[in-house]
Parts: sequence; structure tokens; C-alpha cells
Amino acid sequence: MVRLIGIVGWIGLLNSVIGVVKADETSLKFQIDQDIDLQDDCNESLGNHEDSCNSGFLFNEDGSETEIEVTETIIEDAPRPTINLRDKEDDSIIVEDQIWYPYREHLTVKPLPKNYLLTSFDFNTESNEFIPGRPSTDFDDYSHYTVFPKAFKPILDQTSTRQLHLRFTRGFWDAESWGRLPYDGFKSGGSGVEIWAILEAASKDSAFSQWKTLVNSLSGLFCASMNFIDGAKTTFPVEAFHPMADSTLPLFDNSNKLYLIRAALANEPICTENLTPLVKLFPTKGKSGITTLLDGHKVFDSTWHSLSVDISTECYEQTDRCIHTLQALVDMVINVPKTLARNENPIPKPLPSDKLRCDLDKPYDAFHCFQLPYETEGSYGLSELFGKYIQGSSLMSEEPSQVCVEISDNWNSFIQVNGSLFATADDCFELKDFQQQDIYFESNNTNEVLDVEPVPVYVSRSLTGYGQDRGGLRTVFMNPQNEPVTLIYFETLPWFMRIYLSTMHLEKNAQSPVNISLDDILQSTYYMPAADRIRPTHLEYRITIPANTTLAVSYQFDKSLLQYAEYPPDANHGFEIESAVITVIDPTAYQLRTATLLLLLSTPDFSMPYNVIILTSTVMGLIFGTLFNLLVKKMLTVEEADKIQEGNSLQHKIQVVKGKIMTKSKFKYQEVKNDLKE
Amino acid sequence: MPSTTFKLRKLIGVCLLALYLLLGVPVWYKLTTTYRAPLPIEYIHALHEDKLQDIHMVIPVYIKCDTYRFPDLHEAVQVQVNSLLNSKNQNVPWSLQLMPYDAKKLQDSNTSKGADYHVVNLVLDGFVGFSLAYDAKETTVFFDDSSVITNDLPFFIAQTVVEHAFELEWSELSSEKSLKATNSMAISYRPNIHVSISLLTGDGYPVSWEIDSTLKKYFSPLRKFLSPLVNFTVDTGILYYNDLNLHTLNTRKNVTWQDLSHSIDLSELLSMNYFSESASLNLAVVFPSEQNCKHGLSFINDNWDGFLVPQWGMIVVNKYPLKQNSSLTERYLTPIMYQFATNIFQLLGLKKDSQELISPSITIDSFKRITILQNIHKAEETLWSLAKLTQAFQTMSIPKEVLRNVTEALELRLQIVDMLNDPFQGDDELWNRALILSNQLVELSEAAFFHGEMVQQNFFPQEHKLAVYLPLLGPITVVTFFGFIRLIKEKPDDKKKRSNEPEKPTGNVVEKTYELEE
Repeated sequence: MVRLIGIVGWIGLLNSVIGVVKADETSLKFQIDQDIDLQDDCNESLGNHEDSCNSGFLFNEDGSETEIEVTETIIEDAPRPTINLRDKEDDSIIVEDQIWYPYREHLTVKPLPKNYLLTSFDFNTESNEFIPGRPSTDFDDYSHYTVFPKAFKPILDQTSTRQLHLRFTRGFWDAESWGRLPYDGFKSGGSGVEIWAILEAASKDSAFSQWKTLVNSLSGLFCASMNFIDGAKTTFPVEAFHPMADSTLPLFDNSNKLYLIRAALANEPICTENLTPLVKLFPTKGKSGITTLLDGHKVFDSTWHSLSVDISTECYEQTDRCIHTLQALVDMVINVPKTLARNENPIPKPLPSDKLRCDLDKPYDAFHCFQLPYETEGSYGLSELFGKYIQGSSLMSEEPSQVCVEISDNWNSFIQVNGSLFATADDCFELKDFQQQDIYFESNNTNEVLDVEPVPVYVSRSLTGYGQDRGGLRTVFMNPQNEPVTLIYFETLPWFMRIYLSTMHLEKNAQSPVNISLDDILQSTYYMPAADRIRPTHLEYRITIPANTTLAVSYQFDKSLLQYAEYPPDANHGFEIESAVITVIDPTAYQLRTATLLLLLSTPDFSMPYNVIILTSTVMGLIFGTLFNLLVKKMLTVEEADKIQEGNSLQHKIQVVKGKIMTKSKFKYQEVKNDLKE
Repeated sequence: MPSTTFKLRKLIGVCLLALYLLLGVPVWYKLTTTYRAPLPIEYIHALHEDKLQDIHMVIPVYIKCDTYRFPDLHEAVQVQVNSLLNSKNQNVPWSLQLMPYDAKKLQDSNTSKGADYHVVNLVLDGFVGFSLAYDAKETTVFFDDSSVITNDLPFFIAQTVVEHAFELEWSELSSEKSLKATNSMAISYRPNIHVSISLLTGDGYPVSWEIDSTLKKYFSPLRKFLSPLVNFTVDTGILYYNDLNLHTLNTRKNVTWQDLSHSIDLSELLSMNYFSESASLNLAVVFPSEQNCKHGLSFINDNWDGFLVPQWGMIVVNKYPLKQNSSLTERYLTPIMYQFATNIFQLLGLKKDSQELISPSITIDSFKRITILQNIHKAEETLWSLAKLTQAFQTMSIPKEVLRNVTEALELRLQIVDMLNDPFQGDDELWNRALILSNQLVELSEAAFFHGEMVQQNFFPQEHKLAVYLPLLGPITVVTFFGFIRLIKEKPDDKKKRSNEPEKPTGNVVEKTYELEE
């Protein structure tokens, strides 16, 4: 049978594709040879690079300074001849003059007093432009990604999220000696996980359901327990957390509104499983640039650490296109002597006597030693603190990765490249491509650091009272400055803390000024009472703390009883209460959070329900048994009963037995008597 | 009166026992058993065993001849088609309904939807042959006068239509094998599929690619073309420092595809499950690292080789690493896109081998029908698994929602079967609607099977229930039963009386009873 093949082209397209393919096949074959030539060319120019098919990075530590220079020139010069060659003969893979993507990474290192070191990793990236509101099933809709992580946009699109803020923070920030938090506190959360987002939705209910989807998706993405965020943990902040005034967020559908939603998981452990997904978000993937330093063992060994992700949407009015911007930060405070000591002795053990640093002013001998504080003189490198060297730089950024050191005059900092140390005037070091690098610090007095910026206000919060049915919350505001400070106090409390707002008062003590009442300093209050198992207490107030004043605001609450299944597995540990958020709005913008609290609720004996079942059942069984016997057992008169009892009594039985014996013995006696007579 | 008290007491004992047995036990059982909605297990079993045989798919085919008028040709062809179809054992009954071309009916629909029904064009020519249209549901049969004279034409049309135009049905339905998808290459059918296109390079050099224009030119038409069947969502991305572990193969000689499949590491691409679609296909264009493989991957002979990964997608492995600032042009990407587009048909299960599709329009039409039948089969199997599950675990709860899903699924199934069986309906719209409904059917049946509450309650043991209630049930049972047994053993008073003394007046008894109660 004759078989004729396709007459009409399928929308004329596949045919045209075939045409192109046929044309390309020839060019591709042609390209092979050419590529080999190119390889040879590169080999010539990259003379000192040995064939390294199985080696990792190229540079050994013994290399000399001259070698660096050679490599540097090669890196800059290598592409140029290639461009010419490629352009002449082939256009399937062209080499352009410069390709760079919107990705920047930056590391700031700042020594803090008492031998602490603050390291701030800053990563910034932008997504490709996209047309807002277009369905992804549109035939011409393609989502392109270059350096922006693929994982976010589908989640943001699905939940109509315009701004997303994630905080993973753990540890104690010693504000009194370290001063202000990095980025004025706007990039670090309370201990645990904190998330807030601005969502576009038609109603509050739909915003909440989108929020649920968002936190569940992020929970999977960052391996955090954010899926436990429900209505009872979620608030809609009124004044706090609102984005800065200069940024406006776009609405993709003008009939919708924007909703700001926030939740926090107090004291949630932050660990490697949260850091690894974060590092994977960056295009360098921890293989080059400053991301190579981020090792979970060292990050989470620090005194204070904070991971943050901020995503925002920006739209261009001219083109009607939008982009997402992402800023990810990893900040940590390392106790330098402790980390260095751990490198030496991974298992801590007492120092041998010759290594003890004794205070010679005080009596000392083989058995007595007053230890001196940590050495104030010393030098160390980032590689000792992080256990890794910086490998090369980020190649896809316009500017190379940068490390900046903020030090005072008695400090020196160097960059070590291939065994040699270099210094710069501004203490900012640009990382070199492919090189193994390290940053070194040395100082004759490590306690002398750049002046820390004063904190506008110190706030601490604590639980008061005793007993298991009621308690109190006391918040102490301390303004060390010479001008009054206005701040927004934001607090959410779980529904099982039933607060009495009427008991809110300013505590009278010796330090507080006498003539001030709460009404004078409290400017606005927003209070949303809790609903059991549905929503938390939401309290926000604006308060002004007069200059050089310490105030304590306190109020009382009742502890409610939870249902049997609502207790966590370790109910005796207590319930974590998330930190209060303080946003200073005047005179400067600053944000800080109090420590989390541990609330002890009355914890039932968990075998109680079974005991109750058994006890009640026994009582019911007893009642039923008595009733049953009353109804079913025979009734007798007392005489009858006596008679029967008489018949059954022991005395009667003995009598009967006695009688029987007597009659028998009588009979025998009679017989014997008769016999004797006979 | 002692004789009456005995009877009364006995009656009370019997009543309490009866209460215990007839009211207490059933109420306790009723209140403590998990709710099990009555599923139509018999009906599902019948569907599973294929006892109902209510599916008989009929596809209308119109015969059009412009040169001659054959008033009874369609009937003759119908006879031939039937005998041809009957010659094979059909696992799912199907047949063609041959009809003369009705210009009015078909033209109307043509204006709105284009070529909707399958049409057989008869063209008088010097030879006998046929051709399948590329972009329409149209078969052209060439015939000569001698074939008309010898009356071979009906048989020839029947053979062309059954064995070539409806080749997919002929091979899938008229064979012994079941409808179960046995294709190891294809992903299971889903109406929405995510396509992820990635450019991977072993180095960290910035690279770019003209992917947007390439996709818009070569992939958008495919998306549009396949849209009745599958909706694609597409994303593209560049991944640095990832060569899928290919550099490990470079030291080896004679790399086979098995070595490749053993050493390739797709973990970073597989873990991308952020999209909402449940199925995904991938295209990965991989360049080795210059650091590790400066001279290129030795096992790649050409400039690049494409490999098909079953149920995953396609990998394009390039021989040479990319230079710094490289840009992949449309010229480079087009052949890759073309091969990927061809492979998509295979990955979707539209064809078994890597041959080109001759008549994609007809194949997609047939594939829709096969998918509908496969979906029905899949839903039936899921429901049967549900029935088996509920029967195997007698203590498992069956929520009302499951019953509702099952009922809806079964109703939907009947609706689809009605659509399939209708011999006069068979335009694109019908098949598309049936396909959408069949997807819903699969969803409903899976929603019923994977209902969360069913599994949660599964491991709540019956012994636990007994243990909790034993402190109550124990004493009550002991009291009731032993009391009753003692009552039965007790001799009636008048029997005892014979041996005892006569009774005192009854008034005294009443008095004494009061005393006792007090």
C-alpha cells in the first residue's frame, strides 16, 4: 500500500523547525572542529594551568606572588581573543563582552568589645522582569530565572504576596556593650522564627487563607515548623511592621486591598536545615565567593545569629512590568577566643598548668591561680573562625564580592591571597576570582574597637507573680538619652494568657518620676482581645519615654486551663511567649525585641483521665450493684431472718453437732451399760 | 406474699438482663464505633470485574466524495469496519459509525470550531492509496475506477480508517493487554504539566541564553497545539556549579548509557517541587566545568548529545565547557528545542518510539480517547482499592465525604460513558469535555481514596476501646449476670415453705421492709 506522508505543515511551524535543524546540523558539525581549536588557544594563554580534569580548585598554597599576577592577567585577558575567534566563524554560542546579573554579595566584619566579632553577610538579587497578573498557562508566558531563586516566584504568585519578610534569629544580643543591632534592628527578629508578609487579597478571610498557603510552602522550603502557624498565632499589625513610607507596593488588581499579616514561633530552634536552603538560594551555591564561609557548624556555634530574607515587589510604571527584589542577610556574633579555643581543643578539657594565665598581682602557686581575662593582643584569620577559606569571588556580579572590615586604628587587617598578605587604605577587599583567600586581623588591644552607636531605648520584659492561676507582665523601658523617645510597642500573647487591660499601670518606684501617669505618655492603644483557640491577644500602643527615665508598665493576666490534647509533649517545659517588638519612631528609626518568655501553666497529671474513668466507673458500678441487689434480692421479716440465721448460725450448728454426738455417745454408753449388766 | 415477690424479682432480673443485652450493648456499640459510610462496594466490584460492560465507544466518521455519489457506500464500509473490528478480541469495545457527509451539519460546526469530526475524503485518482492530514482530522483515500467496479473500495476504506487513521485505538483497544499504562517512558497523564528548562554549567562564569525568543518561536505553538490535552507552565533557569556529576565519567573509557544513568545526579533538579502542578517534565542543557574537563567530555562524540530520562525529561550534554560570558543563541537552542518538542510526545505517551508523528492531529484526537478510557480505568481501580481497603480494615472510619466523592465519581463515570457511547456525537468539543470530566473523575476517586480521616483512624485499636470501658462494663456485667444466675438457681419460696414453718401475716412483712429501707 502506498503511504503518503503529511501534506500540510502543522501550522507551518514544525516544518520551519525542521528546516532550521537541517541547516543547523551542518553548522554544528562545523562547530566541533572550531571548538577544539578554541580549546587549544585557551591552553596556550592559560599556560600555567595544568590539565586538571580531576582536581578541584587550581591553586595550591605554596604558590608565589608572581604566580598570582600571571593568573590575574589571564583572567582578565583570556576572553578577548576568544571573542574575536567566535565572532568570525560561529554564532551558535557567542561570547559577549560582558555579562553580569543583578547579584551582589558583601561581607562586613566588625570587631566588638570583649573579643566579640560581628560578621554580616549581605546578598542582594533581583528577578527577571515579569508582567503582573498574567496566568502562567498563557501560551506565551515563560518565567525566566537567572540569579533569582526559582522557588519563590511560584509561591509569591500563588499567594499574591507583594512583600515577604522572614527572620530566623537565635541568641542574645548584648545591647549594652555591643550597641545597636545591625541594620538598626530592622533585619533581625526575636528569638525563634518570625514571618510577616503583605498580601493582596479581596477580603481579610481570603488574605488569611493565602497566608496559610504561604507559610506552609515556606515551611517546606526552609525546613522550619512554620506549618504550625494558624489563626491563634497570626495577627494583623496596625502600626508596627508597616513598610517605610518611601516605598509603595503595587496592586495587581485594583479592586483588592493589601493586608499585612504577621506570626512568630517563639524560641524555635534555628539550625543547619534552615541555613542550607538559604545558601542554596544564591547562584554561587556556597561554591565561590563569601558563601563558601557559611558552614552550619560555625554559624550556629556563635553567640548570636540571625538569618533574614526580605522579598519585595517593584513595578515600573512606564513598562507595566515588575520585578522581585531579594535581600538575604546572615549576621552573627562570634566569641573569638572561644571559637579559637574550640579549634585547638574540640573536646573542652582543663588547660595544663603551664598554659594558665594567672594574675600575678594576686597570690598564685601550683594550686592557686586567679585567671586573667582573655588576651587583648592577638591575630586571627576568618578561616580560623569559619574553618574554611574564601574560594574565589562571585563571577556573575558586576562588581566582585567584597569584604569590608570596620576597625579602629590599633587594628590591622589584611587579605591573604595565595600565601601573601595585602592591605588596602579603606580596609575593603575585593575578592579575586578562583583564588583561595583569607582575611586576617591583628591588634595590640582587641578591646579597643570603633565606638558603638548608643541604643535609643532599652526594653526588657518579664513575668511576675507566682502560682498557677494568675500572673503579671512587666515591661521596663529605659531611655538613656537626653531626649524623649517615641516608640510603638507591639505584643501578641497566646489566648491562654487572659490579660486584664484595666490593670495596666505605671509602676511606682524610686527611680520613676512621680508626676507622670500612664495617660500622659500613652498616645494610642490598639487592643484586640484574644478568642480562645482562634486568635491571640494583640496589643499595640504608642508610648513616649521621657529623657533619662526608666518606666515600668505592668498588667495582670489569668492563666487558663488547656484541653488535654493541647499540651505539648514536654508540657512541663512551659510555653514560649514570643518577644514584644519595639519600633522606635522618634528621634531615630530603630527596632528591637525583648527576650522570649517561658510561661508555666498548670500541667495536669496525664494519667488523670484514665483515673477519672476508673473512679467514676467504680462508683457507677457500686450504685448499680446496690440497686440491682435491692430490686432482685429476697425480702424477709426479721423473725424469718432470725430463724434462718439461727439455723445457719455457728452456735446452732455446734448444738446440732453436739446433740448428734451426745445421742451417739448416749447410745454407746447405754450399750456399754447394758453389756456390763449382762 | 412471698410467691409474688419471687416472680417479681425474677421479672426484674430478666428485665435488667434484657436492658443490658438489648439496649445497653447496642447503644454502647453504636456510640463507640467509628462511622462507616455505606459504599457501593458491589457496584465497584462489578466495575472492577468488568461485569457491567457498559462502555462501547462509538466514533462517528463521515465519508465525503465529490466525484461520485455513493448512496450506500457508508453502509458497505460499516459492514467492512464491523467485520474488521470483530476479527480481533477487543478489551474495550469500540466501533466506528460511518455516515455520509452532511455538509450542513459539519459546515456549521466547522465555522465555529474548525475540523471537528473525522472526515474521510474520497478522491478519484490513477492509483489506490491514502494520506493522513497533518493538521486536521482528515483521511484522504485515493481510488481508481477499477476498485469501484471490483467493489474493493469499501474494504479499502475500512482498512485505511481502522488500521491507519484510528491506529492508536486499533493497537490499544483491540488487543489482549489491559488499558493500564505500561509505558515506562511516559509520565502518567495529568491535565497540567510543569516544564522546567535549565541551563547547567559546571563553572560560575556568567552565561546567558536567548531562551525567551526561542521558546516563543518554537514552544508556544506546541503549547497551543497540545492545549486541549495538556496545559503547560514553563520556567527556565540557569544553574551554576552543577554539571550533574558528569565530570566523574570523564576518566572512564567506553562510557555506556548505563554508566551515564548511574552517575548522573539530578537531585538538585528533582528537589524543585515548588510549582503547584503535580507532574513535571524537564529539559537540562548541561555544560561541563572548565576546571574539571578542559578538553571536553570524552564520551560525547558530537558537539552535544541528547539523552532521554524516562518519566523525567531530556538531558542535553555538551562536550565542551562554556567560556566566560558565553551566550547561547537561538541557532544553538533551536535544534535542542526541536528535539525536546519531539520527545515531549514520547514523554507524554503519545507515541512509543522516537519516530516523528505523521499526523499529530489525528494522533492527539485518538490519544484523548485513550486517555479518557485510561482515566476511567484508573478511577475504577482506585475505587476498587478503596473498597478493598475499607473491607480489609473493619475498624477504619469512612467519612460521609468519601461516600459523596464516590457517588459523584460514579455518576460522572456514567456521564462520560454516555458521551463515549453516543454514535452521533464525536466532535472535538465532546472529546475535550469528556477528557476534562475524566480528569475530574480521577481527582474525585483519588480524593476519596486519600481522605485523611480514613487513615488517621485506622490504627485506633479495638482493644483500646475495651480497656477504657472495662472499669464500667466489668462491674455491671458481673452484677447483672451473677445476679441473674443466682435468681435462676434460687428455689421458689413455696418449695422451701414445705420444709419451713408457716409464714407470719403479710402486714408485718411490709412493716419490716420499711424498717430495712430506713
